[in-house]
Amino acid sequence: MKLDIVTPEGALFSGEIEAIVVPGVNGTFEMLNNHAPIVAILTKGDVRIKGQNLRVDDEVVDKFKIDKNELVLPINSGTVEMKNNQVILLAE
Amino acid sequence: MANLKDIRTRIQSVGSTMQITNAMKMVSAAKLKKAQDAIEKMRPYAEKLTELLSGLSANLDADLGGDYAALREVKKVLLVPITSNRGLCGALNTNIIKQTMRLIDNEYAGKEVEILTIGKKAYDQLSKKYKVIANKSDLFDNLTYEHVAEIAQEIMNDFVDKKYDKVVLIYNSFKNAATQIVKTEQFLPIKTDIAVGNKVVLDYIYEPSQAEIVLELIPKSLRTQFYKAIRDAWASEHGARMTSMHKATDNAKEMKDELTLQYNKARQAVITGEILEIVSGAEALKN
Repeated sequence: MKLDIVTPEGALFSGEIEAIVVPGVNGTFEMLNNHAPIVAILTKGDVRIKGQNLRVDDEVVDKFKIDKNELVLPINSGTVEMKNNQVILLAE
Repeated sequence: MANLKDIRTRIQSVGSTMQITNAMKMVSAAKLKKAQDAIEKMRPYAEKLTELLSGLSANLDADLGGDYAALREVKKVLLVPITSNRGLCGALNTNIIKQTMRLIDNEYAGKEVEILTIGKKAYDQLSKKYKVIANKSDLFDNLTYEHVAEIAQEIMNDFVDKKYDKVVLIYNSFKNAATQIVKTEQFLPIKTDIAVGNKVVLDYIYEPSQAEIVLELIPKSLRTQFYKAIRDAWASEHGARMTSMHKATDNAKEMKDELTLQYNKARQAVITGEILEIVSGAEALKN
């Protein structure tokens, strides 16, 4: 599935991933390929991105952490929408 | 007739002014490019947010916006004029200050008006005459979304606490480097016309409920709106400065050409005078 992470200051990530774990308001949950369409509000926490050959632009690389082959992005709040294997994460 | 040395000094001073204004123009052009890039970068976020919000709120009939849409009788108004910290950018700041004063004296006459200035120029002018409660000029020293969102949130909280019944932003909207348009934009209460959208039945899972998501998205969209206004003003400032510095350079060049012409004329006159003296001296010797 494809993931786009956008913030008011620009795009942070765009690429193919295998799974994403997000901090939902009712608890952390994971989205895999072919997840049902969903819109969810996120709270402060870590977004974990799993996949092969994840690439991040050099400009924004310091916003991410790497933990056990996963890309980790701490966010203050956000919104995530997924449909047709396309995930859009609005992060603040 | 003007002294040769005087003219030379003037030519030199006009020349160095020209160099300075030209350098400032270059700097502004570079900064303008960056400012425009920043506006460009926030567009995907803003568009997606609006899309989500209008898609969701179209499905809800209930009173939207919650506390941020509360329409109260307008007694207390907060004006937020956004100007630059530095001058030399044409009529940019004057326009904002004029518009602010016009609003206070006409539209909001008799109402309790407080001002929160962003930008040193607005603060300097308005604090002499009106009640300026805060000055957030240091915002431009480190312009990040986080910083701007903080201020937006403070204003939003004040509105919810009923400190103000209406919040208005006054800023320059960037059209191009030569044109900036003064915009007076109602920030709060929000206008619920964002809810205009087609009712679409989307088979989404909502977590939490749709209504709660909308309530969560509205402050986000407000903060984004505020950030956009600041970004717009920032780009306008550099655009206006670039244009006015360009004009200044042109004027200096014109002035320098004129002075050079004057200098050459004066020099020629001196030479002619000297030749005349020599010739008449020689003539006198002949006789």
